[in-house]
Amino acid sequence: MIGRRNLGVGVRTLLAALLVILAGFPLYWILNTAITPSNTLYGGGQKIFPDLSRSAHLFSVLVTDNSFLRWIGNSVVVALGTTVAGLLLATLAAYALSRYRFVGKGIMGFGFFATQMLPEALLVVPLYSLFASLGMLNQLYGLVLANTAFAMPVATFILKAAMDSIPYEMEESARVDGCGALSILQIMVVPLIAPSMAAAAVIAFFDGWNEYLFATTFITDEHKWTASTGLASFIGEFLIPLDSVFSGAFLFTLPAVVFFLIMQRRIVSGLTAGSVKG
Amino acid sequence: MPTITFNGVSKSFGANTVIKEFNAEVPDKDFLVLLGPSGCGKSTMLRMIAGLTEITAGELRFDDTVVNDLSPKRRNIAFVFQSYALYPHMKVRSNIAFPLVMDNFRWWHHIPIVGGLARRAILKRADVAEKVDAVAAMLELTDYLDRRPKALSGGQRQRVALARSLIRDPAVYLLDEPLSNLDAKLRSQMRAAISALHARVRKTFVYVTHDQVEAMTMGTRIIVLNDGVVQQYGTPKEIYDRPANTFVATFIGSPPMNVFLAEAGADGLRVGDHVLPGSRDAAERVISRGSAMIRLGVRAEKIAIHPGDATGENLIEARVAVVEHLGAETIVGFALEGTEGVNVVGAASTSGLFYARLTGEVPLSVNDPCRVGFALDAVTWFDHASGRRVEL
Repeated sequence: MIGRRNLGVGVRTLLAALLVILAGFPLYWILNTAITPSNTLYGGGQKIFPDLSRSAHLFSVLVTDNSFLRWIGNSVVVALGTTVAGLLLATLAAYALSRYRFVGKGIMGFGFFATQMLPEALLVVPLYSLFASLGMLNQLYGLVLANTAFAMPVATFILKAAMDSIPYEMEESARVDGCGALSILQIMVVPLIAPSMAAAAVIAFFDGWNEYLFATTFITDEHKWTASTGLASFIGEFLIPLDSVFSGAFLFTLPAVVFFLIMQRRIVSGLTAGSVKG
Repeated sequence: MPTITFNGVSKSFGANTVIKEFNAEVPDKDFLVLLGPSGCGKSTMLRMIAGLTEITAGELRFDDTVVNDLSPKRRNIAFVFQSYALYPHMKVRSNIAFPLVMDNFRWWHHIPIVGGLARRAILKRADVAEKVDAVAAMLELTDYLDRRPKALSGGQRQRVALARSLIRDPAVYLLDEPLSNLDAKLRSQMRAAISALHARVRKTFVYVTHDQVEAMTMGTRIIVLNDGVVQQYGTPKEIYDRPANTFVATFIGSPPMNVFLAEAGADGLRVGDHVLPGSRDAAERVISRGSAMIRLGVRAEKIAIHPGDATGENLIEARVAVVEHLGAETIVGFALEGTEGVNVVGAASTSGLFYARLTGEVPLSVNDPCRVGFALDAVTWFDHASGRRVEL
């Protein structure tokens, strides 16, 4: 038995290591490329272990392109805006879907699902014309709105699943204790679905952070570019400064990693334990 | 401190009626027990009193106020759920104080963070803390105030749920099978604690249970329900001594009341093959009602069992099927000779049995022949067709 258990642990460790390598290698290669000189990259001499004395070049894009920080800032605004607006709307929608019976509930659920079937590219033209007529082109909040529309349905499904697992008696008890519907949602439900909210927040944040198509179509003013558009702009017709592109890519990942690490701590389960007899 | 009045209250879910027209008045400070088997509608009744389930028809009054459309909070009630329904993300202290916190809730408490800080401030207020400490001390929860519900045992959680209901000093306490998840020892402790609580706070309690021991020991009045219909409403003694029908007779009491089917003839009342001695007068009264058939209800403690070779006037031949030695008393299950209950084995062997409760140890074994007897003045009479109690 013990031998089999050890074997199991060994296989699991091996698989975990393999996954870490598979997931981590692209990130490592970004770092590697960012600190390798451009002429070496084009000369085909990139090494597996780069010259670490050039580590400062990780931030070279900040020197070569002083707009990059602003673009990162714009991306933060768009991603956080998408996260906040998406979660706010998704929480209300999920609560309605989870707890209330109303006409059109099934259609509403399907409608959310249907938004995920449409590729963004299909919506670019109608959305552009809509944004143009509403004066929302070149506005970051317009981008937030568009991204929220895509992020919210996924968040709604995640939050609804979490709310479905909260015992009804707890909410009824809160009603007896004097809570209205909004208080129940705020004081009882939201704290209990915090892990799912964190998961939904990560998804919504990355939706806003990584989005490229809308950002590059709706925002033409260079000052309002998001980092994804800015990063793509490095690729010129005749010259591609690969080390700067990868330095930018490295910096582009940093805020997302920080956000994920903050949220990851909240993604734990078992918060409803102890409420009702299990 | 209201008198609760049910005025033709009924509840339907679509075409399915779960409570049929119910009329009753529960005097102030009473301990009313809603008793019945699972699915009889007793929890629905309690939820209607609480305002958690809508009343389909009829009127529910607290004193002179119709409360049908009032929210649970405005009814000034406390509700203890069968499953405790504690708030798992709050500590015991916050759980107990929550009704007080909500009493002080203002619209601006909906603002994120500000609301959280405001609720924390209310929790720390001297008057609130004092009340929480007093209630916690009363239910021996002082040592657990800083724990979360998941770190408590079932009994402790149940006491937290009770404490939360006590904190606001409501007019009516509603308890939905609060002891059903506890073990036997804790259940008897909590039974005594709740009874003592009722005596101390002197408020109206409405208590739902399917456990007749709880009903008999705690209630000042009992409503027995079956299939959404009220079978009887009365004091525990009335319900035990004068059951309204055969359902109540066989539901209340452990073992339940024995109900013998008898036929009245010229020579007296015949149970199985045996004519009950001295029953000629009773038989005449039965026949004068228009039907020869009647049901005789006899409590287990009113039945005497003698060895098979005993002689006596008023004895019926039977055979012992079950003997349960409980120490201070013995429960003997028997079947009348010549009826189906004899010689049946397995689970079916206990159906159709009659029971006697005898003091002390009894020298009887399974399959022993015996003779049973009871006095006719200990009999409760039930109509054969309707099962209702009748006076002879």
